Amino acid sequence: MQAAILTDTTKCIGCRECVLACKKENGLAPEVPHRWNLDDGLSARNWTSIIDRPDEKYVRKQCRHCVEPACVSACPVGALEKAETGAVVYDGNKCMGCRYCMMACPYGIPRYDWDQIVPYVRKCVLCHESRVSKGREPACTEACPTKATIFGDRDELIRIAHERIRSEPRKYVDKVWGEHEVGGTSVLYIADMDLDFLSGGHLDDEPMPERTKLAMNAVPFTFVGVAAAMAGVNWIIGRRMKLQQESGPPESPAKEDGDA
Amino acid sequence: MHRVRKLKLILWTLTGLAFAVGAVRFLFGLGATTNLSDATPWGVWIGFDVMSGVALAAGGFIVTATVYIFKLERFHAVVRPAVLTAFLGYLAVAVGLLFDLGLPWNIWHMLIYWNPHSPLFEVGWCVMLYLTVLSLEFLPVPAEEFSRLAKIRQFLLKIRLPLVIAGIGLSTLHQSSLGSLFLIMPNHLHPLWYSPMLPVLFLVSAIGLGLTMVMFESHTTAYLYHRKPETDIIGRLGGVARWVLFGYVVMRLGDMAARGQLYNLAGTDGPILWFWFEIALMGIIPIVLLSIPAVRTSRGGQWIAAAFGVSGIVLNRLNVGGVMHQGRGDYFYVPAWTELAISAGVVSGAVLVFLYFIERFKVWEERPVDPEADPKALPELSSVGSTWLGVPIVANRTVYSLVFILAAAVGLALLSPEPASSRGVDPSPVSPARGGEMLWIDGNFDGFGVAFQHESHRSMNNCAVCHHMNYPMDQDTPCYRCHSDMYLATDAFKHDWHRSETGAGLTCMECHAKGEVRRAETAKPCADCHTDLVPASAGIKVESYDAIGYVSAMHQLCIGCHSELAAQMEMPEFAQCAACHGDSEEHFANQGLPSRDRERGGKRLILPPY
Repeated sequence: MQAAILTDTTKCIGCRECVLACKKENGLAPEVPHRWNLDDGLSARNWTSIIDRPDEKYVRKQCRHCVEPACVSACPVGALEKAETGAVVYDGNKCMGCRYCMMACPYGIPRYDWDQIVPYVRKCVLCHESRVSKGREPACTEACPTKATIFGDRDELIRIAHERIRSEPRKYVDKVWGEHEVGGTSVLYIADMDLDFLSGGHLDDEPMPERTKLAMNAVPFTFVGVAAAMAGVNWIIGRRMKLQQESGPPESPAKEDGDA
Repeated sequence: MHRVRKLKLILWTLTGLAFAVGAVRFLFGLGATTNLSDATPWGVWIGFDVMSGVALAAGGFIVTATVYIFKLERFHAVVRPAVLTAFLGYLAVAVGLLFDLGLPWNIWHMLIYWNPHSPLFEVGWCVMLYLTVLSLEFLPVPAEEFSRLAKIRQFLLKIRLPLVIAGIGLSTLHQSSLGSLFLIMPNHLHPLWYSPMLPVLFLVSAIGLGLTMVMFESHTTAYLYHRKPETDIIGRLGGVARWVLFGYVVMRLGDMAARGQLYNLAGTDGPILWFWFEIALMGIIPIVLLSIPAVRTSRGGQWIAAAFGVSGIVLNRLNVGGVMHQGRGDYFYVPAWTELAISAGVVSGAVLVFLYFIERFKVWEERPVDPEADPKALPELSSVGSTWLGVPIVANRTVYSLVFILAAAVGLALLSPEPASSRGVDPSPVSPARGGEMLWIDGNFDGFGVAFQHESHRSMNNCAVCHHMNYPMDQDTPCYRCHSDMYLATDAFKHDWHRSETGAGLTCMECHAKGEVRRAETAKPCADCHTDLVPASAGIKVESYDAIGYVSAMHQLCIGCHSELAAQMEMPEFAQCAACHGDSEEHFANQGLPSRDRERGGKRLILPPY
């Protein structure tokens, strides 16, 4: 099973019970308005947030738990991992604090403990360790009073999402956010508005790690190729200079210039 | 004063400043010493120290390739300085990175936790290996001076060719991989800078930058030591650099044309002008200058052309590394002075080591005249030295040390009040709640607060449940008197007031016992004098006189009772946020608070003036 969350923004009343449940479950301290916070409500101490949209509409923001996560492929020490449940989890003991994951994430989700002397990367981990790996649902979906955000298997939730859109086509935008973009995400949305603002613009379907794969796969061949070429060039030039010296020294300076 | 000595004074000042700032950075964390944020996690420490540093040090592999692979012996004179520059450049990158990393003591984790998919993993490994190669390439130079190291030197010279080849391979890899880092950010990096060709563009520009950097450095050191520069060799390097940079510009524009992106260049928007400025600085200007034979062969011409190339490519690395990232809201990153101080200090430290090596070892064909032993240079400082600082050589070192310590002290003085107290939260004094039977609680006066039914709470509870601590002879001291800042903890005891003649006017002995160290822990308990300070039925027992922030205080006070009552009455909504924040849904203190000028959706209560 691929653990996933489906959020139906039309059902969200903006009560923030999910935010509160998340904070309790993960033992997160109250937030204060730090200089370094973005205004989407996420921070090192808020792993999910409700964004107010015009006309009393609300959108919950959290880690999308991509099927092929950019952060996991970017982390140089493998501190971020895609767990077998589908959650993207973080191991602070491995992290060295380079923040490449924050740069790489297409949704801009990971946040940093800027005020800590020993800082870690913070983001939603889908309650992997405390709940999902034990067969329970995450704290946020459990707390939702209107079932606007529900937990389940990814394929099943995609089916439910399409069913809802089909049954009320005039209410919803005909798109399941997270079904295809960046290779699919485990946190899915259906909505009565355009949700591309969550990623700061439209995203293509190509998974982010694909974009560096070609360059990374070329690494060993480049090294061997460059080294072999250099050794070869060195040998050829050395041999040519030797031959020149044997045939007569006076010619060599002019010849050498020509080679250069 | 001798040019070198002037420069060294400046460098020691910058290093001293960076020393102080660096100490504060490790004591108080990144938030206190940088302008980095969740919107711009990478700043000038990555863009300049790491990305530009690595590119600036590219001269090492280019010149070794020219001399040892292509056997162009006439360039031999610049090999040693180029390798030394590269070695110190990479060392500076490593040191600079330690400041930027959140957990720098874990930097070695790359050795044991592998993620070969990560371009940064590749860069890290290559830099580590190349730093080793560079140190082995350079070691024969200082080893010349020590006869005991002759055998090691012989061995290192024997394996020089494989070392050079490994160095070229490693450089090719990580110079290009620095570009690969950004392949994963197609929607964040500005389209004028993003390209699938970034690794290739980075490699080519690094070659160009390596060459211009060797030119720039040769001229600068020649100027410093009143030495004749190798104008002929440098001119030839310039000739090559011109073609490399030309190739780079063609590739960059050609790549955009091939992807059908050239239309992005039409217009006069900020980013487009910025793009052309960068291209002019790193490409067009040096190419044109180096194409004019009179400029290419003249000392000043070479110097200026190289300076343009170097600054242009540094600008390119800064742009790709952070400046031209977008899509995370309207945040504009301007580096804090502390960030710039660290960057400048790290570079200064590297230059000082460079000058030391030049003066101490045979980096050039001939060793420069030691400015400290130069008779022409002595008179200016000897008056200081002979009167109170001893012999001139000691005097120089003393002056450098003095400058270093003074700069560090100035740095600490500039820093101390700010990071220790602010921690990224501005102080926001609390204004009192207003009203009578219904209190309007809005500590920061922004119109979003809680309408608190004081009268009905009073009829249900003993006053002391909420008014858990009171001023002398008072039974209902308002919350804001102690919890006087919205978010920060404040001192509720007010030591200075107790001491002051206009306050309580107490002497020390009245609270601190004789012979004891004067500390809060050993002082007389407040309740000894203020018998009515804490009411018998206080709902909250306080253990310290640091009053927590107003928001936290309100929440801690209310949520406990509300949760209990909600369970008793089986009304879960009674414990939900909206139970109190009903009229201002927007203003949940647990949310990252929105900026004041942002358009808000919540209802706003308009109250009559005070």
